[in-house]
Amino acid sequence: MMAGRASWRAVALVALAAIVAAALGLYVGDARRSVPSLSSEALFALSLPDAAGQEQKLAQWRGKVLEVNFWATWCAPCREEMPQFVKTQAELGPRGLQFIGIAADDASKVKAFAQEIRLNYPALVGGFGAIDLSRTLGNTVMALPFTVVVDRAGNIVHTQLGPLAPAKLRSVLDRTL
Amino acid sequence: MASPPTSSGLRPRPAEHEPVPARRGLLSGRTHRGLVVATACLLAFGPAWRAWSQAPDLLENERAFAFAARALDAQTVEARFVVAPGYYLYRDKLHFSVGGAKKDPALPRGRMKHDEFFGESETYRDTIAVRLKLDRPTAERLPVTVAAESQGCADIGVCYPPQRQEVVVAMPRDGARPGPWVEAAPVKRKWFR
Repeated sequence: MMAGRASWRAVALVALAAIVAAALGLYVGDARRSVPSLSSEALFALSLPDAAGQEQKLAQWRGKVLEVNFWATWCAPCREEMPQFVKTQAELGPRGLQFIGIAADDASKVKAFAQEIRLNYPALVGGFGAIDLSRTLGNTVMALPFTVVVDRAGNIVHTQLGPLAPAKLRSVLDRTL
Repeated sequence: MASPPTSSGLRPRPAEHEPVPARRGLLSGRTHRGLVVATACLLAFGPAWRAWSQAPDLLENERAFAFAARALDAQTVEARFVVAPGYYLYRDKLHFSVGGAKKDPALPRGRMKHDEFFGESETYRDTIAVRLKLDRPTAERLPVTVAAESQGCADIGVCYPPQRQEVVVAMPRDGARPGPWVEAAPVKRKWFR
């Protein structure tokens, strides 16, 4: 009787362990699969019109340190951080930094805002498709702003959902430039 | 209230003095129960944990701004948003339609929010509900599509693109009680691909 109970317990323990292991395995496996494999190739394959309607291939900036910022004029936190990007572009452009804005927006609104803040880097117009693109780069909740830093070799070295604090921006760029 | 019975002779042993049963087999009953509870927790909260770990602190658009509607009577639909704590919707970005016809409901007053570039704008938090009038009473049980367009942000400094959500509600006959809330179907996550 005692032995029977003990072996039942052993079976129960093994079964529980198996369930725990299976559950863990599934979650971890699933999580690993659903983390997008971050590759900048999707970016470099892209060609988008700028605010003036001129088609721009992103591959033209290959070899620079890229800071690709997904934004929109309807996104207040996006607008708020952009003047800081303008300043950083002016300061670190000579060291090989290239900001690129990709707007989930209309060309006319992008153009007006670019003039308002004297944007000194390309403002590409991606429409709402831009947000889908940002998802492939790790923006799983598809909110804005979303920023990707790509090093000279084309590796994505930082992704940021939400505003990039100046200190954070600085440390990422110092590491990458 | 009756006073506890006095007794002499044998008294039942107080429960807390019950001897702990000797460990039998591999697991004591307590450990066993603990494992069952732990496994249940893991199964129950695993998906939630996974979703959270992927997107720390941020909800997806349709969960941050959960849309639902119900029929109030044969000619009126109530639509509502439940805005998650820490999120807000812009009042002037809200648009509704019933059966494809645009509606212009009386919107409640929002809270003023100051944006550096937008200036003052009115926003909603918590729950907001509006009444949408149909042009004429609808035949009983006829389904109508209630759609909403909204755009909102999270306080931590991200905004979501405008989204359209819709539900289908069945209209009640005149004089009936309001129908049940129909929640916009959240986009299903695939836990096990």
